[in-house]
Amino acid sequence: MDTSPPEAMIDLIKVSKIYPPEVQAITDISLTVNRGELLFLTGMSGAGKTTLLRLISRMEKPSKGMIDVAGMDVAKLPQCKIHLLRRKIGMAYQDFKLLPERTVADNIAIAMEVVYRPKSSIEKRTRDLLEQLNLTQKYTARAGELSRGEQQRVAIARAVANWPEIILADEPTGNLDADTTARVMDLLHRHNRKGATILIATHDKTLYQQDTHRVIELSFGRMRAPQAEMPDADDAYGEFIPPVSEV
Amino acid sequence: MRFFTVMLRHTCRNMLLTWKSQGMTLFTVSLSVLIFSFFYLIYANALHLGAALDDDLRLIVYLDEEPPPPMQEEYRRKILKFDQVERIEFVDSAQAFKRFEQQLGDNRDVLGGVPADFLPPSIEVYPIRSMDSLSRIKRFSDYLQTLPGVLKVQYGKEWIERFYSFIQLMRVVIILSGSLLIMTTTFMVAHTIRLTLLSRQQELELLRLVGATNNYIRTPFLLEGALQGLLGAGSGMAALLLLFNWIKLQFAGPATSSLLPFTFFSWPVVLLIVGLATLLCVIGSFSAIRRFLQL
Repeated sequence: MDTSPPEAMIDLIKVSKIYPPEVQAITDISLTVNRGELLFLTGMSGAGKTTLLRLISRMEKPSKGMIDVAGMDVAKLPQCKIHLLRRKIGMAYQDFKLLPERTVADNIAIAMEVVYRPKSSIEKRTRDLLEQLNLTQKYTARAGELSRGEQQRVAIARAVANWPEIILADEPTGNLDADTTARVMDLLHRHNRKGATILIATHDKTLYQQDTHRVIELSFGRMRAPQAEMPDADDAYGEFIPPVSEV
Repeated sequence: MRFFTVMLRHTCRNMLLTWKSQGMTLFTVSLSVLIFSFFYLIYANALHLGAALDDDLRLIVYLDEEPPPPMQEEYRRKILKFDQVERIEFVDSAQAFKRFEQQLGDNRDVLGGVPADFLPPSIEVYPIRSMDSLSRIKRFSDYLQTLPGVLKVQYGKEWIERFYSFIQLMRVVIILSGSLLIMTTTFMVAHTIRLTLLSRQQELELLRLVGATNNYIRTPFLLEGALQGLLGAGSGMAALLLLFNWIKLQFAGPATSSLLPFTFFSWPVVLLIVGLATLLCVIGSFSAIRRFLQL
């Protein structure tokens, strides 16, 4: 049995983010997410969930504090090395960030193309993901012609396409029905079981109420861990499924 | 290898996305290359002609009387002092008369009764071939004029002056058309790349987010510039070859081909022009990337 302490994958120490002129989006957040952990970030709209995910993926720089992701000091990471961080992260954006004129397959493949994966492997993985998300028929459809729910699933497929070490999902089920939500969560859980560290920002209580994973609540940019929703109040990290394998 | 395949695919997609401005750029680049290389071709052929004429170039120094051997030696010493002289020949009145007879051929009878020494003696000075500029020949001619006993110095002054004026004019035209080539290629390519950057703004942002390196994002635009240069300059040179052949056909004839041997560029020169145009387009592309692509 492995008794070594869990390895931190994401470490935030007293992180604050102030948008000009004086909008305090995040205040003094300290949080550690271990390798292979699945964590829910909850809170009302404007609580700072998206900002936190953007800080982790270096879409924003913190105004204060330190962010360490996979051993990289995110704030000090030079511009020419940001790709090293981004290749470890797969992010499903709230606004999807799809290319409307390109096909669904192209939108998913783009994440794999930048790491020069072979064409055959890209195609196989794309078809596999589309099947898991019940979008097989949409392979050649233009992303702009899809419904919001379908676009959301394409965004999730792109986020997980490269088997990233970290998956950040911003409201991944916001436009989905119950069945499709279950499919998406199943996909994310499968990646988590294979070792991916996952942060899901959501205000959909049904996603985490029946779940055993750690839940962090953000309120007005500050963090609070709701006791009722913590699987184990004494365990700062809650219960998480340890990584089965490194991908 | 995989890198270049992916980059080429991106480049082709970029070019298809903005095919209208790509077409305009290709047309402008090829037209600029055509204009520049057309004048350069005329200039190069004129230089060839000049070099061929240089072989026959000589200055004839007419003397008032036959110089005795010590005087000839003195002339030789003073002329060779100018150190741009290949050789000199003394032509006495009798030799000059004989040459004139030969030139007249069947009409030599007209010289009947004319004294054999009616032509003045002369010195024929053959300058070395590097002495190709008009100012130097003029200076040399002025120097020869100062020698004692010299009546006149002749070297086809008017013709040479016209020829060198033409060469000077061609140089100016080449500089102007070269500047036009530089400006159009760099500005047009930069403008097209800017349009491509704007049309792909969303995709470029996404590429950064999914972990593309700076080179992955930049290289297709540099390749686009290189392709524009290569295709534009290639078609410009092809158009020049067509024009060249058409002109040759129009003015074909034994007299023109022997008097004005008009030849096309050698392969190294063609490749050099295409290479330079391509380089200029890459520079234009690079400047657009630096200005408009925020990484």
